Amino acid sequence: MLIKRLSGSSRGSRGRGAPVVATQASAVLDRRSFLARSGLAAGGLAGLSALGFTSMRKAQAAAGFDAKAPVKLVKNICTHCSVGCTVTAEVQNGVWVGQEPAWDSPINRGTHCAKGAAIREIVHGDRRLKYPLKLVNGEYQRISWEQALSEISAKMMEIRAKSGPESVWWLGSAKFSNEGAYLFRKMGAFWGTNSVDHQARICHSTTVAGVANTWGYGAQTNSYNDIRNAKTAIIMGGNPAEAHPVSLQHVLTGKELNRANLIVIDPRLTRTAAHATEYVRIRSGTDIPVIYGMLWHIFENGWEDKKFIEQRVYAMDDVRAEVKKWDPKTVEDVTGVPGEQLKRVAELFAKERPSTLIWCMGATQHTVGTANVRAYCILLLATGNVGAPGTGANIFRGHTNVQGATDLGVDVVTLPLYYGLDDNAWKHWARVWDVDFNWLDSRFDKKPGPNNTTINFRTVPGIPSTRWFDAVSLPKDQVDQNDNLKAAIVFGHGGNTVPRIPEMTKGLAALDLLVVADPHPTNFVSLGGRKNGTYLLPISTQLECSGSRTASNRSIQWGEKIVEPIFESANDYWVIYKLAEKLGFADKMFKNIKMVKGKFGDEPEAESILREINRGGWSTGYCGQSPERIKAHMANQGKFDVRTLRSPSDGSEISGDYYGLPWPCWGTPEMKHPGTPILYNTNLHVKDGGGAFRARFGVERVVKVKVQENGAEVEKERKDNLLAEGSYSLGSDLKDGYPEFTLAVLQKLGWDSELTAEERAIIEKSGPSWSTDLSGGIQRVAIAHGCVPFGNAKARANAWNLPDPVPVHREPIYTPRVDLVAKYPTRPDFKSFRVPNIGFSVQKAAVDKGIAKEFPMILSSGRLVEYEGGGEETRSNKWLAELQQDMFVEINPRDAAERGIAEGQFVWVYGPESSSKIRVKALVTERVGKGVAWMPFHFGGWYQGADQRGNYPKGTDPIVLGESVNTVTTYGFDPVTAMHEGKVTLCQIKAA
Amino acid sequence: MARMKFLCDADRCIECNACVTACKNENDVPWGINRRRVVTINDGKPGERSVSMACMHCTDAPCAAVCPVDCFYTTEDAVVLHSKELCIGCGYCFYACPFGAPQYPKVGNFGSRGKMDKCTYCAGGPEDDLSAAEQAAYGSNRLAEGKLPLCAEMCSTKALLAGDHEMISEIYKERVSKRGYGSGAWGWKTAYKETINV
Amino acid sequence: MVAFQRSWGLAAALAIALVIVVSGDALAQSGQPTSVNPTASSVKEGQLLDALKPPGSGPSAVTGRVSIPDTKSSVLIQPAGRDWRQIRQETLPFYGAIAILGMLAALVIFYLIRGRIAIDGGPSGRTILRFASADRFAHWLTASTFILLALSGLNLTFGRKLLLPLIGPEAFTALSQAGKFVHNYGSFAFALGVVLMILLWLKDNIPSGADLAWFSKGGGLIGSDHPPAGRFNGGQKVIFWVVVIGGVALSITGYSLMFPFVFTDIAGLQEANMLHGLIAVGMVAVILAHIYIGSVGMEGAFDAMGKGEVDLNWAKQHHALWVEKTEMKGKGAATPAE
Repeated sequence: MLIKRLSGSSRGSRGRGAPVVATQASAVLDRRSFLARSGLAAGGLAGLSALGFTSMRKAQAAAGFDAKAPVKLVKNICTHCSVGCTVTAEVQNGVWVGQEPAWDSPINRGTHCAKGAAIREIVHGDRRLKYPLKLVNGEYQRISWEQALSEISAKMMEIRAKSGPESVWWLGSAKFSNEGAYLFRKMGAFWGTNSVDHQARICHSTTVAGVANTWGYGAQTNSYNDIRNAKTAIIMGGNPAEAHPVSLQHVLTGKELNRANLIVIDPRLTRTAAHATEYVRIRSGTDIPVIYGMLWHIFENGWEDKKFIEQRVYAMDDVRAEVKKWDPKTVEDVTGVPGEQLKRVAELFAKERPSTLIWCMGATQHTVGTANVRAYCILLLATGNVGAPGTGANIFRGHTNVQGATDLGVDVVTLPLYYGLDDNAWKHWARVWDVDFNWLDSRFDKKPGPNNTTINFRTVPGIPSTRWFDAVSLPKDQVDQNDNLKAAIVFGHGGNTVPRIPEMTKGLAALDLLVVADPHPTNFVSLGGRKNGTYLLPISTQLECSGSRTASNRSIQWGEKIVEPIFESANDYWVIYKLAEKLGFADKMFKNIKMVKGKFGDEPEAESILREINRGGWSTGYCGQSPERIKAHMANQGKFDVRTLRSPSDGSEISGDYYGLPWPCWGTPEMKHPGTPILYNTNLHVKDGGGAFRARFGVERVVKVKVQENGAEVEKERKDNLLAEGSYSLGSDLKDGYPEFTLAVLQKLGWDSELTAEERAIIEKSGPSWSTDLSGGIQRVAIAHGCVPFGNAKARANAWNLPDPVPVHREPIYTPRVDLVAKYPTRPDFKSFRVPNIGFSVQKAAVDKGIAKEFPMILSSGRLVEYEGGGEETRSNKWLAELQQDMFVEINPRDAAERGIAEGQFVWVYGPESSSKIRVKALVTERVGKGVAWMPFHFGGWYQGADQRGNYPKGTDPIVLGESVNTVTTYGFDPVTAMHEGKVTLCQIKAA
Repeated sequence: MARMKFLCDADRCIECNACVTACKNENDVPWGINRRRVVTINDGKPGERSVSMACMHCTDAPCAAVCPVDCFYTTEDAVVLHSKELCIGCGYCFYACPFGAPQYPKVGNFGSRGKMDKCTYCAGGPEDDLSAAEQAAYGSNRLAEGKLPLCAEMCSTKALLAGDHEMISEIYKERVSKRGYGSGAWGWKTAYKETINV
Repeated sequence: MVAFQRSWGLAAALAIALVIVVSGDALAQSGQPTSVNPTASSVKEGQLLDALKPPGSGPSAVTGRVSIPDTKSSVLIQPAGRDWRQIRQETLPFYGAIAILGMLAALVIFYLIRGRIAIDGGPSGRTILRFASADRFAHWLTASTFILLALSGLNLTFGRKLLLPLIGPEAFTALSQAGKFVHNYGSFAFALGVVLMILLWLKDNIPSGADLAWFSKGGGLIGSDHPPAGRFNGGQKVIFWVVVIGGVALSITGYSLMFPFVFTDIAGLQEANMLHGLIAVGMVAVILAHIYIGSVGMEGAFDAMGKGEVDLNWAKQHHALWVEKTEMKGKGAATPAE
């Protein structure tokens, strides 16, 4: 609407010989008369041209677009961030020759960021892995796929025999399609380990944990598009202008049309902050005090939404008690934010509604990551800003399909779709997979536990990506499994993504087997240190592969293969299938998945995999999005409204659907649920995407309280109601809170008679609950009565199962405010995810040793718009690499002046652990405040001053290399998810 | 009769560089040649604004005026184009251009300038529309296909507008009146000797 | 014309100062307040343009930050291009035409009035060595390249108007392209020639009292009385200094143009180009006079650089002091001065 192509009439004049534009002095010529003029004098001195001075670039007819050949337009989804921009490719004779704006997509509406607009370069492939490689005595040798997979599987079986299945560690990818992610997780299950992780660990694992523990699901509640409806938006710990540029289209449009408040709370004045109406600079790692500082004003002035809290929130009073401690003076001391400013922001957020809170990794990458997220949710709950248009927790996920890969269980704590790891979960998936539960159980290691019990690793969370090298290097007795990790199978994941690279290199060297399956070699390779036992497998990008992906807003989009995988690269499906075959369980694993002819022979069909996901995806509403429905959405993108994401009710195949059938999309595909664009929205009927907070934590909580009775203190049990009170979704037959639906609940309500005989038969064989009923009958009946299958409960301000049930401030492990550590210490040491977490000891040692004096600057890290993740792919893209050619550190002009550092010169950044240091260029800017340094995390290929270009197999080195920020980042892990503390540590900077 | 212009709404521009890579992608522009770029004014300070800049296709274009070999011409859509066959790479257009648009590949010794290259408004060059020769020397010719320059079409926040001047001024005016602020039609005064009054 | 006048001031200094352009920083607040409304405080293009000053006296361009290494791309808008355009389109051709055509006209008039200046008493038949081969090499190296540089240079200024309509764009481009190569490569030979001249002739070109006398008598051009002169008379010294100072100036400005952005920024390049053109047309005019007097204008003069030996009578007429000195040193021996 803002800029359209010219209408036919205004363009019509071209080429009709109409008079040229009469402008001012300069001669105006059209092209043809210009040419004619040139031609007139072709004689004369034309002989001089023979000297070659005028020779033009030779026409390279082969390259680029040929106007005459037929063009096929193919739609896929950008493989970079989670916004989910549609990429429209022009394909001629099997060659991707150009990109066109994808005007019809309601998400990106034709636009892209630098990465999306340069995405075609990925299949030029100059620097891609071209064929399988094997490292032999430090040299890479080209081998066949057959040889690679045979040797890898043989080695894996050898490790399995010697150390058990838990010694093989699987690292998957947020770049997988949903189908690839699902197969990868299934692969782990069939191999016999839960140590299957991916990038969500280091981007939003704490969000997922925090949000799910508050109101049910770990995902963005609303959508990018819905931000257009907000009157106030806070972006806290996020820089979407660089990380999710296309989302800014919606944010800025909303800001303009609603004259909305756009408040950015961040340690840096980012490109996003430049467009804010209010910028609040905070000290890194003080999110909870900032939120509580706002809540202090809100509670003090009675700005909270009392009705909302009463009906839909559990235990807000517990929060009030904690917030009382955070008066403006204390808050200013800890965070650096003046009380008046926070009061203004709090008032806007509470009063100028609807308000939304947008966050990203600035919130999550902390030892208090989960608690930060919980505090954010509490602010939303206190002001009644959840479950309506323009409100909500708008969590911007990182990679293209990090939401989908998380949903599909590429995660050490759960099977696909958040079923967890208990027997019920395994039995559910065993039924979906049509395999024997006991056989699955037999795949796993067992170990004697305390008190004559047996630890069955089938039910034990695996080793996360932030800790894998500790599980390789730590003494065997400190790792809670039968042996250390011996092999790492890495699909689509950078090697520079977690802190403590000096420690990681030790683990990397000690592995018996390293498999990197990726379009690029990644930093696992460039860090070097290995001589043998390394295999590089060329995997195609998702642009060379069909499949679905889930954007941050839970919309599922289908991407069509644009071109065949280039060189010898192969797609994930085929590689996983072949590996399963070599490992001996392909027949079981692919039992009900259709095989089709692929590049290298039979490969699993993406559609068929999605159908299997549908058959098991009841818990999260991944059941209604059949490939046919999603493809119909892609074909009819133009019909969806940009603000509501809904298509008109016109009786067509997508009639009334929300774009991408955002999950939960209840029931069977035939039920035609439209998807849920806004979670927990009671203003709509469940049939129209309405909902309520999920009854995930029971119907009541028993709390032991001490009361005075007859002068004596006695302990009594208090039963707190957890179900909603007087709040329900539009059109619900139950006008109050209710638990999640099971066959028993249906029976109690007398609704079980509505189940068909067929459904009843299936329910008897499968689980009797809404999430395990493979017929979808329980969901169907509940929704017919206007009820949400997962129940209608209160959101939890007190999440009693978390380490900090009500969030409390804890100083970062490496904090410049050592004076605050005694009052706000990190959590005590404990064991988590099979390895020790000694954060408390590290923090104490740092304080005792005076680290903050030696390393006085706060170091934070983040994204650049041109690069993505570990950056190997984008740094290999010449159109992107040209725009950021050097790794740099942002430093305030005053800090630079004190150190005699000039813009653009090399400096050493020293980290407080492992005597680490990196050599980077100085970018002197006021984006960062005094005492703060910031670096992008996309670089790799240099290590502590040394260029490691030579470590790449020939021809696969990215164009731009640089130091990894994670060489100098440090210890510290969230107690709930083992998220690293990437957003705050200490450093020192000196001129190099 | 269209009078094509660019307009960068700096209150929307977030320096995402989509315009830059879209240009590279569409026109196969080599490393080191930047037909379009984004410049950030007051970087890191409150009030920072980014502006995407390329050839503005000026009225009474200075490049055309100073060219010793007269290799520029203006199309009927008011797009300023040039002939690489005639250009001698003297660099005069760069001195005259207020926007730093002309780019020169380095050829031969001591960084001598090759044939000038610049934004064509995705309108190719003097060769036949959509011919291979045009594609090779100038890149795409979207105008001939009835499309606008890809940089503007792909702009993530729709900050960069391309099209007939009346249409894009109207859009900009509407935006400013709706939102209540505007940092100006960057480059217009210099390029077109007029600005958009709102 | 402000920039034009100022450029003469700069020409005297012959310094291509790096003109630092300043961005709109001045408009922004300093320090880092914690409470701001970035939208409301945004920079405005209008304010930035109003704050611009002529180059050298303040910010002359709107600049910012770019991530690509091409630092010149950080200049967003430089209206100074307009001033440069005026110099290129109007000032330089105007003064250039006046200088060159004016000089030609003056020479024609002079020739008509004065005719060819003959050797008093006619040639003696005896010659004296005036310039050794090294001298002549330096002269002709400089002279020949100067002519090529001048022609290729003048082509860039006047060719579009004068030549292009005659020969058409393609041929004109071929010619101009060839001219650019000649200009770029020939410049090195020219610069070498200037250096050689300095080494060979500097000490004989130091102004002396005799020059005053020479000038006071109009150099013998007016009237028939030839003031005595050393190896070089006052007029020749003027030519020497014009060539040396002009040549060095052209080299400095020329090389900063040939290696763009190595020594200076866009404003500096505009300056350099302006000076280069203006100095060049001035020199062309002066050299035209030099050519005239060294060829058709004066009998026996060409031999000095042509053959190296001049007629003794000519020498006595124009360089009496030099002849005396030379003859005192080695009787009759025609040794060149040192």
